[in-house]
Amino acid sequence: MRRLYAVGVTVLVLVLLPFVLSEFRTVQLATVGAYFIAVLGLDVLLESGQVSLGHGAFMAVGGYTTAILMANHGVQDVWTIPIAAGVAGGLGLLFGIPALRLSGSYLALATFAIAIVLPTLLKKFDHFTGGSTGITLFGRPTQTGHGTGYLGLTNNTWLYALTWLVGVLVFLLAWWLLASRFGRSLRAVRDSELAAAASGVNRSAYKVAAFGVSAAYAGAAGALYAINVAYVSPDTFPIQLSLFLLVGAVMGAFGSIWGALAGALLIQFLPDIVGVLPHVDTKQAGPATFFYGAVLVALILLLPFVLRVASSIADRSYSRTP
Amino acid sequence: MKIALLLAVAVLGAAASSASGASTPGVSATSIAIGSSGPLTGEAAAAAGVLRGADGYFKYVNAHGGVHGRKIQFTYLDDGYDPSRTVNNVRQLIQQNNVFALFSVVGTNENLAIRDFTNAAGVPQVFSAAGATTFGRDYAKYPWTIGYLPPYHEEGEIYAKNILKTQPKAKIAVLYQSDDYGRDLLAGFRAGLGGKARSAIVQTVGYDPTATDVQSQVAQLKASGANTFMIFAFGKFAIQAFVYANKLGWKPQIYVNDVASASSIMALDPASTAEGSISILWGKDPATPAFAKDPGVKLAAQVIKQYIPGGNPSDGFLVAGMAEAYSLVDALKAAGKNLTRQSLMTAVTHMNETSNPFLAPGVTVRTTPASRFPISHVRLQRWHKGHWVPFGGLVSGRL
Amino acid sequence: MANFLQQVVSGLASGGIYGSLALALVIIYRSTGVLNFAQGELATLSTFVCLALLDHGWSFWPAFAATLALSFAGGLVLQRTVVRPAQRGPQIGVVILTIGLLIAVNGLTTWIWGGAARQFPGPFSTAPIHVGGVAFSKQDLGVIAVSLVTVALVGLLFSRTKLGLGLRATAVNPNEARLVGVPVGWLLGVGWGLAAAIGAVAGVMAAPSLFLEPNMMQAVLLYAFAAAVLGGMDSPLGAVVGGLILGVLLNLLGTYVHWVGGELRLAAALAVILGVLLVRPSGLFGSRSVTRA
Repeated sequence: MRRLYAVGVTVLVLVLLPFVLSEFRTVQLATVGAYFIAVLGLDVLLESGQVSLGHGAFMAVGGYTTAILMANHGVQDVWTIPIAAGVAGGLGLLFGIPALRLSGSYLALATFAIAIVLPTLLKKFDHFTGGSTGITLFGRPTQTGHGTGYLGLTNNTWLYALTWLVGVLVFLLAWWLLASRFGRSLRAVRDSELAAAASGVNRSAYKVAAFGVSAAYAGAAGALYAINVAYVSPDTFPIQLSLFLLVGAVMGAFGSIWGALAGALLIQFLPDIVGVLPHVDTKQAGPATFFYGAVLVALILLLPFVLRVASSIADRSYSRTP
Repeated sequence: MKIALLLAVAVLGAAASSASGASTPGVSATSIAIGSSGPLTGEAAAAAGVLRGADGYFKYVNAHGGVHGRKIQFTYLDDGYDPSRTVNNVRQLIQQNNVFALFSVVGTNENLAIRDFTNAAGVPQVFSAAGATTFGRDYAKYPWTIGYLPPYHEEGEIYAKNILKTQPKAKIAVLYQSDDYGRDLLAGFRAGLGGKARSAIVQTVGYDPTATDVQSQVAQLKASGANTFMIFAFGKFAIQAFVYANKLGWKPQIYVNDVASASSIMALDPASTAEGSISILWGKDPATPAFAKDPGVKLAAQVIKQYIPGGNPSDGFLVAGMAEAYSLVDALKAAGKNLTRQSLMTAVTHMNETSNPFLAPGVTVRTTPASRFPISHVRLQRWHKGHWVPFGGLVSGRL
Repeated sequence: MANFLQQVVSGLASGGIYGSLALALVIIYRSTGVLNFAQGELATLSTFVCLALLDHGWSFWPAFAATLALSFAGGLVLQRTVVRPAQRGPQIGVVILTIGLLIAVNGLTTWIWGGAARQFPGPFSTAPIHVGGVAFSKQDLGVIAVSLVTVALVGLLFSRTKLGLGLRATAVNPNEARLVGVPVGWLLGVGWGLAAAIGAVAGVMAAPSLFLEPNMMQAVLLYAFAAAVLGGMDSPLGAVVGGLILGVLLNLLGTYVHWVGGELRLAAALAVILGVLLVRPSGLFGSRSVTRA
């Protein structure tokens, strides 16, 4: 119950933020929303004991679906979101089947390799994808921003509203999924495959389903990102994004929505954080990249500490740990 | 609950509302805000030297009184050569930093990605550091956008014309980077050869920048029996192309594209590897002996020493950036004390600059409203005994 | 025909490079159970250190030996300070850590030495040798020879020495190894040190052909993983053989399958990884069965 209360307050804050922040910060937070959705999806996957170092690839699938539908078929932006989620989810299910045969490290390697190779493939099939030039979605007034008319919002605020509306919806969906029998089965599979099998849980089905759901989330996130930036190219979803999604997901594991939110904020604002480090000339390639990696390393080292703190807070606040 | 409030406070704390715009955004009595975006990190980081070079030159100009009493505030952001980050950066520069104009955004795809946005917003996107022909050609649709570099397409045409003139029976092999950059060069090259393209070009092989090396591609090209080798590649791949050709015992006439022709790349061991290669010349390469005593090169060295910490005086990208910056300052001066975005675009489309100290002798910056290729005539140069030696007069491709 | 032979020979040359980095990946996996995504960047860093020594007037073999020692020490220290705490947390944390290291080390190398590519004077001559219309160099042969020698040395280490026994025990079951008095902590560090040293060998051998720059090994990494998977993640010999096969395969695919051409070689490597993992996870020479849970 307390959790519902906390979520309610967050929603209220979300609604109020655009009135306080500048236009630019608002649209930045819209991008954060897209990352948040992808991170949530990855959390569902982690809950099943599987890992993916390449969820940026599913975001790319969603983003390109949106772009191609809007650019070549005149579909309105909002309707591309569920389609993108469906396409990505379908691919996730397909990938989930062979993924069953791969253990932790090997699954990490396979997903890592896919994420690295995807931009190459996107460039190769350029009749379909526009190649390295990408697809611009800017300047399609009939297909975008219809909410601005209805509610008198600016384009930036509309993007924010759309993204967070979807974000809250999918969060509630994820919450429900993970608290329900689906989630319990996932955790059973994660914690002990043997025990899960003994209790009659169809491990394979649940693992594949987890992949599908998490991919669908990433697809929706990619669609929202494409709508937000109004542009996709093969370089829009690089391997670094996949890695940071994973970092965010790890922070959000154990059912902590705040971790997922923090992860999403980190992805968006890490370059700015690195920029305020003293004595670092972030205009140079070397220092900027170095500190980017160093922060990641520091996060991982601090993570057990953070998780211990987070779970003790969770223990105190909620009557039932997930 | 408390966490939610803390989160809200944190986000609010991190936010800054944008300043309300003056009558001309980015222009005050004492300053002009200019913005850019480039690959400060990532594989193409060397190219961001143009931004650092421009930054250094602006600081020099500011120290000498600025433009009509205004100092240039140059803000440039990292996009890692990812066009969607360029879009985000440009959004920030326009909506948050309130820049007056965008200058020297690096990369063809990057400039294409933001072009619709800048033109819809009426923000000048001048002197894009990208060689695609469209930036000079499509001004009817995109009046706020203009390029600077000789377009890659045209560079290819220039090489083709030179081959037709000096090696009419050439058999040509082409190694090209498999993206717009390499493909533009190849397309221009083919166009320049005209009817002879099909018979003269015996083999073309592309490579993806994710390749580790191009040994296999070069071997394939050598096997075609060509006597002329076009290297339309970037950075280390260009070096490898030279070295592998040498290793395979293949000694064709080599043409190497401008972006890969920096003296630092060409100085290979053994020294004979690159001997006789041809490229185009538009900016002054500080390492070329012909320019050793050149006042422009000396000025560049001074700017680097004073305003670009860690800058390498032989870095051609820095000098290229200074050339662009010089042209922008010229345009800002011509736009007048009553500086508006429109007056800048008028100045930029009426340029007749012959005294740019950073451009090779004879290379000028000329534009008219109907001809928007600032640098359209260049020279050729040949690598001889460890340096570039210019030869011939001004050349240009078909526009 | 001449081109076919040349492609094969060039493929062996490139493959030698993939195999030598794959060897480092296999060593660290075999002794610590970790897939180290940062292995390539560490190798590049070691190579830059070697270049720095050479620039200071050291001659090649002393510089090389010093680099190996420094790399070993560096790997050991890295494991003891940064990796060890991460290994206490969830397994996935270690994976992310190695990727963080990948980024950080790449940034460090760029920061200190800048991004431009430069020639690296290796111990073997890069002058071309022509045999029957095919060109290669002593450098190409040298890479393969050095890798095979390293495989032999490592093989001896693992099978004939107490240290090797300890390393194997640590990787298979650290807890039980601890119970019988194996200094597991230190051995994990040794595993990292050993892999770092072998990575240094790979870097120094590769740099004369690939040209030294901070991103030199970034592209090689995926090919090295493919080679290691193909050969079997716990087989040092498999890593080198896998590399050679992969090098030739990619060249032939790239030259004769027009659709693959120059652009899809990376995708071909991915296909190899996925194919092997799904069809025969132990690779060509790997012995252990891959557990699924």
